Parts: sequence; structure tokens; C-alpha cells
Amino acid sequence: MKIIACYSNKGGVGKTATSVNLAHAYAQAGKQVLLCDLDPQGASSFYFRVKPSKKLTEARFFEDVKRFTNAIRASDFEGLDVLPANLTFRDFDVFLSRMRNKRSRLKKALTSACSDYDVIILDCPPNFSTLSENIFKAADEIIVPVIPTTLSERTFDQLIRFFDEHKLRKKKLRAFFSMVQLRKTLHQDTMQNMRMAYRKRFLQTSVPFAADIEKMGQHRAPVSIYAGRSPASDAYQALYDELENGVVSSK
Amino acid sequence: MTMKNAGFFVLPLLFDDTTFEQMQEGLSVKIEPTSAPRSFTLLDCHDQSLRAKGRLLIQTDGMLQLLQSDGQSFIQRCQGKDQFARDLPAGPVRNALKGFPVLRALIAVGQGEIQTRSLAILDDLQKTQVRGSVWSMSTDVGRVTVVGIEKLRGYERVFAKTHAALAEKAAQDERFEAVYQGLFPEMRPYQAKPEIHLGKNEPSIEVAADIIRTYLAVARQNEDGVIADTDTEFLHDYRISLRKIRSVISLFKGVLSESQTVELKQLFSELMAPTGRMRDLDVYLLEKDMYFKLIPPNLHAGLQAMFDEFHEERAQEFSRLKRRLRSAAYDRTMKDLSATFDGANQLEPGQNAQRGAYGYACTLIWKRNRKVCKLARSISKDTPDELVHDLRIDCKKLRYLMEFFAPLFDANDFKAIIKPLKKLQDNLGLFNDFSVQQEALLSFVSRQSTTQGRVDAQIGLAAGGLIAVLDQRQRAERDRVMSSFQLFDGPDIRHLFRSLFHQTKG
Repeated sequence: MKIIACYSNKGGVGKTATSVNLAHAYAQAGKQVLLCDLDPQGASSFYFRVKPSKKLTEARFFEDVKRFTNAIRASDFEGLDVLPANLTFRDFDVFLSRMRNKRSRLKKALTSACSDYDVIILDCPPNFSTLSENIFKAADEIIVPVIPTTLSERTFDQLIRFFDEHKLRKKKLRAFFSMVQLRKTLHQDTMQNMRMAYRKRFLQTSVPFAADIEKMGQHRAPVSIYAGRSPASDAYQALYDELENGVVSSK
Repeated sequence: MTMKNAGFFVLPLLFDDTTFEQMQEGLSVKIEPTSAPRSFTLLDCHDQSLRAKGRLLIQTDGMLQLLQSDGQSFIQRCQGKDQFARDLPAGPVRNALKGFPVLRALIAVGQGEIQTRSLAILDDLQKTQVRGSVWSMSTDVGRVTVVGIEKLRGYERVFAKTHAALAEKAAQDERFEAVYQGLFPEMRPYQAKPEIHLGKNEPSIEVAADIIRTYLAVARQNEDGVIADTDTEFLHDYRISLRKIRSVISLFKGVLSESQTVELKQLFSELMAPTGRMRDLDVYLLEKDMYFKLIPPNLHAGLQAMFDEFHEERAQEFSRLKRRLRSAAYDRTMKDLSATFDGANQLEPGQNAQRGAYGYACTLIWKRNRKVCKLARSISKDTPDELVHDLRIDCKKLRYLMEFFAPLFDANDFKAIIKPLKKLQDNLGLFNDFSVQQEALLSFVSRQSTTQGRVDAQIGLAAGGLIAVLDQRQRAERDRVMSSFQLFDGPDIRHLFRSLFHQTKG
């Protein structure tokens, strides 16, 4: 089982869109996927039309494995389940440590209808606190969408410094440029600078700024469902290919 | 009630939205055609083992779909018809058919028209809460709809409601019998061993007529498959049916007049004669891989030559048999026989004709068992093979007698006897096979040899190698025959025989 955290210490960077479309790409590739919606705004659940369960906000939620697994909902897509969670930090911490412990009841209960989940994707809240450290420790890969602007450069800087200070493995960080507008020189320059500065941290794939992605809210579905041939859909597929297979799309 | 994660429901009518009228409450039902109506073929083997297991195998242009009454379904691409499950292209359906009888071919058992539709039960956000499929099938005589639903994690409540709503309207049947009955009401599954009802006091001549009439019908049901050469089991079953009939005639002593017994014995032997060689060849060809494994690869060339000959000979035997089965003379013979055994009126009774079935059965089985035991006990390491062959035949007769009369006795008692008897028969059968195969090899070689008695070295080597291995196996099997008989001849079985068949004197 692989844990992929979709994280950004800055809001509005296309984090939830990334979680949703990546989760769908993994499921399309035949993997059993659990998408955990840890963002208090519950946006990934919204995209999958899954109603947040009331039970999830209750404090003792994670002490009860059964209630936890009962909260998992099948999405409309084969192999893709959603946990519409709305977790407090305390719960989140417990959640992560138990998820990693092979013998924990949570881990055992976390099996999909027929088999273990191959991939767990965490749509993380955008806060930056000491508790984020647990995400960084628990996840195998941390996907960081970065908008190529000056402000984002600074926040990414902070993230790298945080990793350095806490002696975390920076190798886990897989950043990519999100909401890219190639006609803007600022975007082009920033991308060039950041790729130079953090050579190993950035994926080759970037996701464009696209109306099709914004329309996810109307369609309430992954991009490839309603705009299968769009550049946006291709970009998420390429992101999956590069993450999973190390293949860089020629497009 | 335990609820599975998926389920199939057979509805006798054409399916529409009203099926779910009762359970709405903020939910909507979306049914969309996923294919245009097209023709389908229902596949199964001759004895409908898929039907018996509650499975439906549906072929529609290029696709093969398997529905199982446990709620699972599988689909894969597949072209062509009349093939063995193992010859299907790799895929989920082939995997699911792993337990399918290996010797049986999948044949078309029925045809009709099918339309598939997807089913989704949606909530107010248009989120799918229950997913499913709808198969509407029709034939000239009937129509049914199969609805399959699937439980989605986290939406168990709506699944349970849908399950209940469908169960209320669906045929009360765990398997797909309602599909067969709705679409093919006339279809009767083939049974190699049909149940025959016997009365304890039924006159023996009527018992004989019942059994013979039944097995004549079984034989006739295999004719088409033999002629089409669909699989080897048709001929096998055909032969077994005729052999059973011949056994009734010869084992039910004094039930028919002597002259009629002789006449019928002769007639059934003649019916079987043209099938013997072909069955032998079928067995060799089926066991081809086994033979190749018995001898080292450097002797394979000769073996291949041998099997090429077998192939050719089988083709000749087959065309001869086919011509015969299609002939008017053959049809007349079978029709006459069916008329003869339709009731006991046409039969010439012998002195035992009116004996009650139960008493007569006891006498026959008791005597036959005494004969088996006497013979078996006389067999030691030094007795000639001939006696072992005789024992095989007597065991077979005993087994047939017990099977014929089984409906008159306690099933569990019979099972207790048949089990060790079957084990013994298996050993005897193998012993016989190994011996017959050696003879066949020798005669094959002599047919291949020149007038000077010279034979192709490759063939000679292969035959010699095989004979050596087969002889060893035959001897090993003979040892096992003796130990299996000890098990059969134990005090429990002896006691059972006495209490079942020899009470009057015991």
C-alpha cells in the first residue's frame, strides 16, 4: 500500500483537483484507491457527489474502527472509494500513525470490498503546522502543486526549509507546476528559476490553467469524464504516468 | 438474512421503471441501453452442468458473458462456437469456468434476442447508490429479464431496499431456473443417469422394461452429438447406455424368454460393435500427453507416428459410425426397440418375469456378490491375469445390479457399499487398461511390420518403451487390486450385504 499526500502550504493551488484527478487515474489503471478528504472544506467529496457523514466530526471517531470504515463510500468509479472526513488535527494524527501500523485494527479494517487498497490519497488541509510533520513522515510521496508565481516560490522555499530543519526526507517531495499560463512571462521565468533551484524536486509534467478544470465544480466529476480529450485531462494522465511509471509524456 | 454484495433477480416480465415504484423516496432510477437488441446464444455442455450450478453463459457477437447466481458476473471477448472451456481465449470467463468438465464442449443450447441496459439508482445529487445491469432476453416462446445489482460501499441501506424490492417481484429461485423455464420451457436437461422409479413389488419384467426404455432414450439423445463429433463424451454415454441395456438383458436371468434374451443380446451387441474401436481410439487420443510423458523425449518420434496413425484411423471409424447412425436402417432398429420396451406387453416373459422387484434384486445382488468374493479370495500373486479380468467383469455386473435396483434400498447403505466397490473397480479398470494398451501396441506394431517381421525402428522403440512402462504399471495395479478387495471384503460391508440382501436366511 502506498500513501500519497496531496499537500500545499498555500491555498487555491489546485490541490483538490489534483487529488481527485490523480485518484481517478490510479483507479482507471486498475488500482484499488481510497481518497481521504481531510480538507475541512470537503471539496473532494463534493466532486464525487459524496455527502459528508455527520459521524465524522465527532471527537471519538477514530477510536471506533468500525465507524471509521463505515464512513467509506464507493464513488461512481470502479475501484475508487472516498472517505469524506472532516478531521480535527488530533484525529488526523492518530489516523496517520494507525494507517502506518500494519497490525493496527484500522489498517486491517481498511480493506476495500475485496482487497487491500493499493493507493491511499490524502487530500490534505492547507494549514502549515507542526502536525503536518506527521503527513510528511507517513506519506510515501508528497505531491505539491505550485503556481509559478513569486509568492509560491516563497512558500515552496518555506516548505523545503521546514524539511531541512526537521530532517525530513526531501526525496518524498514531488512538486509540479499547477495552473500554468505559458503566455505569461512571469510564469515561464518562475518555472525556469525554480527548476534550476530545486532540480530534483520538480516533475516534468505541468498542469495548465484551464477552464475545463474549473468546470469540475459544475460537473462534479474528474476532468477526464466530461472533457476526456482536453489538455487538462491529458496533463493529469501525464502526471500519473510520471509519478507511477517515471514516464515523461512527450506532449 | 445474510445479504451478499451482489445479486441477480429473474423477473418474468419486461423490466421497467415501475419495478422500483415502491422504494423511491428521493431516489431516481436511471436505465440506459448499453447495446441495441441483438441475438444471443446460450451455451452449456450437453448435460447442462452450468445450468445445474446456477450459471448462465451468454454469447453475443464476439462477447462471452457468464452470470453466476452468487451475484458475480464475468465478461470477455470470444469468437466461435462448439469449443472446450479450456480453448477459450484467456480471460475472466475462462478463469471462472476452471471447474467445468474438461471433456465436455460448450454447445449452443438455446437462442434468442438480448438487450443489455445499465441500471443506476441515484440520490438527489445524482450520486450512484446502487449500480446494476439489466438483461432483457426473449425467444419465440417467452421472455425474461435478469436484473443484477451490486452493493456499493457506504450505500448498504439503499442496496438492501433495492434487493428487497426486486426479491418481491422476482422468481423465488436461487439459480437461473426461471430463465431457462421462461425462455426455453420445452428444454429438458440431458441426464446420463435418469432417475427411474421402481416399486418394491413391481414385476421384474416391468423393471427391465423401465430401465431399458430409459436408457434407449439416453442413447438416442447422444446420437446427434456423436454424429456432429462435438466431444468424446457423447459416444461414451451412448455406449454406456447400450451396455447397461445389455446388462439388464443378460443379468435379469429368466425375466425374458430364453429366445428373446438371445435375440436381444445379439441385437445390442451388434449396436455396440461399431463403436468399440472408436472409443478405444478416443481414449488413446485423450491420453496423448500422458503417453508422451511415459517415455523419454528421444523416443517421441515413433510415438508421434503412432498417434498420427490413430488420428487417421479414428477419422475412418468416425465416418463409418456416422454413416451408420444416419442410416434409415439404424433409425428403424432404434424405433422398433423403443416400441418393444414401451411397457411389458411386447416382451416374452420368462419364469422370473412376475417376481417382485425387491425380492428379485436381493437374490441377484446376493448371488453376484458371492461370486465376486469367491473369485477375489482365490486371487493370489500367482494366479493368472485372466482371473483378475474376470473379477473386473463380475464387479461391473455387481455394480450395475446395485445401480439398477438402488431406488429400492436405503441410499446410505448403498453408498457405504459402492464406495469401496468403486475403489476396487478403479484399480481393476486401470489394470485392464494397461493390459489392453499393451496388446494394442503389440498389434499396432505387427500391423506396421513388413512380411519379414521388420518394423520401423522409431515405432519399435516407442512401442517397446511404452510396453515396458505399462507392464510395470499393470503389475503395480494388480497389487492394489488385492488390497482394495480387502477393504471391500471387510466385516462391515459383509454384514451390510447380509442384512440388505439375505435377510430371509439370516
